[in-house]
Amino acid sequence: MKSRTLLSKRKGNNLTGRIELPQGTLDLLILRTLLPGAQHGWAVSERVQQVSSEVLSIQQGSLYPALHRLERRGWIKAKWGTSENNRKAKFYELTRSGKRQLELETETWRKLTLAVEQVLEGA
Amino acid sequence: MLNDLRYRVRALFLRRAVEDELEEELRFHFDAEAEKHMRAGMTLEEAKRRARMAFGGHEQIKEDCREARGTSVIETTMEDVKYALRQLVANPTFSLVMVLTLALSIGANSAIFSVINGVLLKKLPYPNAERITRIFLSSADFPKFPLNPFDFLDFRARNRSFESMAAFTRGDVQLSSGSEPVHLDGFYVTSGYFRVLGLQPQLGREFDFNAEIPGNGLQVILSNRLWRTQFGADPNIVGRKITLNTQPYIVVGVMPAGTEHPGNNYHAVAYGDSVDVWRPFPFEGSSNNRGSHYMEGIGRLKAGVSVEQARAEMNAMMAQLAREHPGNDSGWTMLVVPLYSEIVGARQRMLFVLLGAVGMVLLIACANTANLLLARASARQREIAVRLAMGAPRLRVVRQLLTESLILSLTGGVLGLLLAFGGVRALVTLLPTDFPRAHDIHVSWPVLVFTLLISLLTGILFGLAPAMQASHTDPKQGLQGSRTTTASRHQNRLRSTLVIAEVSMACVLLVGAGLMLRTFLNLVHLDPGFHEENVLTASLSLPHVQYRTDDQTAQFYDNLTNSLNALPGVESAGAGSDLPWTGYDENTGFGIEGKKAIPPDYFHARYHMATPGYFSAMEIPLLEGRFFTEADRKGARNVIIVNRALAQRYWPGENVIGKRITGEDEPKKDSDWMTIVGVVGDVKDQPNSTGAEPALWWSEFQVAQPDMSVVIRTRSDARQAADGLRAAVHKLDPALAVADVKLMNQVADASISAPRFTFVMVSLFAGLAIVLAGIGTYGVIAYTVAQRTQEFGLRVALGAQHGDLLRMVLMQSARLVVPGMIVGLALALSMGRVMQALLYGVSAADPLILASVAFVVLVVALIASYVPARRAANADPMIALRSE
Repeated sequence: MKSRTLLSKRKGNNLTGRIELPQGTLDLLILRTLLPGAQHGWAVSERVQQVSSEVLSIQQGSLYPALHRLERRGWIKAKWGTSENNRKAKFYELTRSGKRQLELETETWRKLTLAVEQVLEGA
Repeated sequence: MLNDLRYRVRALFLRRAVEDELEEELRFHFDAEAEKHMRAGMTLEEAKRRARMAFGGHEQIKEDCREARGTSVIETTMEDVKYALRQLVANPTFSLVMVLTLALSIGANSAIFSVINGVLLKKLPYPNAERITRIFLSSADFPKFPLNPFDFLDFRARNRSFESMAAFTRGDVQLSSGSEPVHLDGFYVTSGYFRVLGLQPQLGREFDFNAEIPGNGLQVILSNRLWRTQFGADPNIVGRKITLNTQPYIVVGVMPAGTEHPGNNYHAVAYGDSVDVWRPFPFEGSSNNRGSHYMEGIGRLKAGVSVEQARAEMNAMMAQLAREHPGNDSGWTMLVVPLYSEIVGARQRMLFVLLGAVGMVLLIACANTANLLLARASARQREIAVRLAMGAPRLRVVRQLLTESLILSLTGGVLGLLLAFGGVRALVTLLPTDFPRAHDIHVSWPVLVFTLLISLLTGILFGLAPAMQASHTDPKQGLQGSRTTTASRHQNRLRSTLVIAEVSMACVLLVGAGLMLRTFLNLVHLDPGFHEENVLTASLSLPHVQYRTDDQTAQFYDNLTNSLNALPGVESAGAGSDLPWTGYDENTGFGIEGKKAIPPDYFHARYHMATPGYFSAMEIPLLEGRFFTEADRKGARNVIIVNRALAQRYWPGENVIGKRITGEDEPKKDSDWMTIVGVVGDVKDQPNSTGAEPALWWSEFQVAQPDMSVVIRTRSDARQAADGLRAAVHKLDPALAVADVKLMNQVADASISAPRFTFVMVSLFAGLAIVLAGIGTYGVIAYTVAQRTQEFGLRVALGAQHGDLLRMVLMQSARLVVPGMIVGLALALSMGRVMQALLYGVSAADPLILASVAFVVLVVALIASYVPARRAANADPMIALRSE
């Protein structure tokens, strides 16, 4: 599986004041957002935007391929359900291996940001 | 991992459902987004617009999702395939021509490969068959000679190279069963014969050493086929007595189905499931009697011993035997031949020539298809330019075009396989009767794999050049060109080279076909030295038990030929020890009155027996003296008839009638001598033998031979004599089997079946090749003519004559065909050596054949380019000027 920046394709689509997601963080954000319970794709993107105080936004063009990829890897699973406004929607939820993956990625992320922080402070 | 696989499989096979779900999921997202904006107070229109903006390219997202699913390679390929199929269906004639030519050439290759696979590649059906070897004597006069039984015993006892060694010799029998006696093909074998082959009886056991002692020999091992057909597969057959040659034999074993006879040379029975019974060989008489040779040696080498080592040891043993038995055992060297080479060796060259020929046909088909695809690729330049301009990567275009050619070649391959199924069946019936392992020739798994491989290979071979070239299309030029797009000079050169290659290979095949035709005609029109029309033959074998004395045997054949001569429609009837062209090879040394032979066995000849009517029935001409008569019987003066070759070799320029020879080392009495009473014309061993061997005939009534071939010449259809023959035989001996009832025509035919087969096959391939080369030439010329329509119109407008244009186009075609022809003829000359062994009476550099091939190629090229040339000559100047 080749890895590439999922957002880089749509550079310039970003709205002002928002930060482009660094490579590899999209999966982490999605997994984390799904931790409390099953969500559909739109809710995932809304939630990330809200929680990050509108700083982070996930483009749909990246979100859905990412969801499908995570599903293929078995970290999340999809099932059809009914949305708040009574429409049929596809809900994603974390699987057990998805939870493990989330822990792993969270830890890696913490280490990374800590290290970057130290370099920035110390230099 | 498992999840991944399940996901991909679902995405691939439930593609429609997965796509629908994706569509629905994205629509939900879009609606939710729009709703959010409406809640913020926007109008429906405004909200939708904002949502669409945030959403980005709907199709692009879908494409990315598909890629994320991990099935895009397969999906792209499926798209390519669909697109390619649309393209091919859009040009049905073009596609049909290509698929058919590919099917024919791939099918021909699969068929020939089936033969190669069955005959050459498939292992012999014996365990560790590579260690089995045949053992022969060899001398200058007799390059491959059978062994003497007592020499064999010494070899068996003394050798260290062989794990086991055995000998066998032909010994047919008659089975008395029910109404009519049955003739069985049988062999005498020494103990351990089947161990050498690595086979074991399915019932009972093989002969032990005791069975070799004279008097213990009334034992028999049956073939599985005989056991089933004659004995109802009786499971308790071992120990039962059956009647062979009117004597009671104990069945000691039954060989399993699939027991193949390894083939033999002396009184040959072809390799295969061709033997009915085996009996133990009894070593009778004095072990000092080393003069007669009729045992076929076979041995299994010890692991690690090479054929060369075994041969050296055998030669050392033979040298020792020559010291122990000077005279008979001197002057020989030993041949140790791997069984595989012995069985298929003689046919290898022919098969490789056929494989070469059919391979060339495939190359021509490739060149042809590449050419047509190149022509089409330039016609499709605009389409490709559009695709490139729209951002399709070049690799994607190459892949697309390769997909097209692979579809062509695979379709051709599948059709070809169907052709091969039918072709192989036809081919096997065409094969020479003595062709080894013919029953192993099937369209089997290796053939299927081979077909798939060559289909893929040809698809890539003929598809790659056009695809690469097309992908180099410059989108700007391709789109700009207002005129019909013109091929680059580079492309034209490639196409011309392909045609030249096609023509040259077709030339090689045509020369091959011409040579085989001449060979075949030479053999058909050869003066055989006898006349095979209207002759019926059959073989009889008088059992020793009933016909104990020579007088009884002589009396039988005298009575039989007399009653046959009395049959209505019979011109003359006789019996001989053998028929011409059947591989008969019985030899004797002799002494000549008043001449001293140096070395000892210098005077030798094929020996035969004949009744008085034999020569006239076979129409072998009498050159001097007389034929045998009824009076040439026991007690009368011993007489012989010789052939011209013998007379000329031993009495050059002399009159040989009345000359005497002897079989005794020290002739004393008058009866030790045999007087030459007649000289007959030469008959060669085989139609393609270089010359006739010296031969002599004894009178059957003086030297009675129990196994004879009956020969009946009739005035009209000889088949009608068959019933009369059976009736005459059964009147004399109701228990006698009449075997191998055949027309002499069939016998003669069988002897030239190998060259005929090669001729038919090579001609088929050559015909296919020249048609393909014709299509190739036509394609290129027609294409360039189409490209130059305007130029031609302009020329006409400027006053060019009809004939000028015709000549111009024909010259263009000549510039392709003549170089191709020259290269082809040169190639054919240099490859002549390969063919020479298959030829008879014609040189590989036969000028007439080379000239005829050149002529044929020119005529085909002329026809192929005449149609486009006429089109050019009839160019309408108005069209040319208007379109400018």
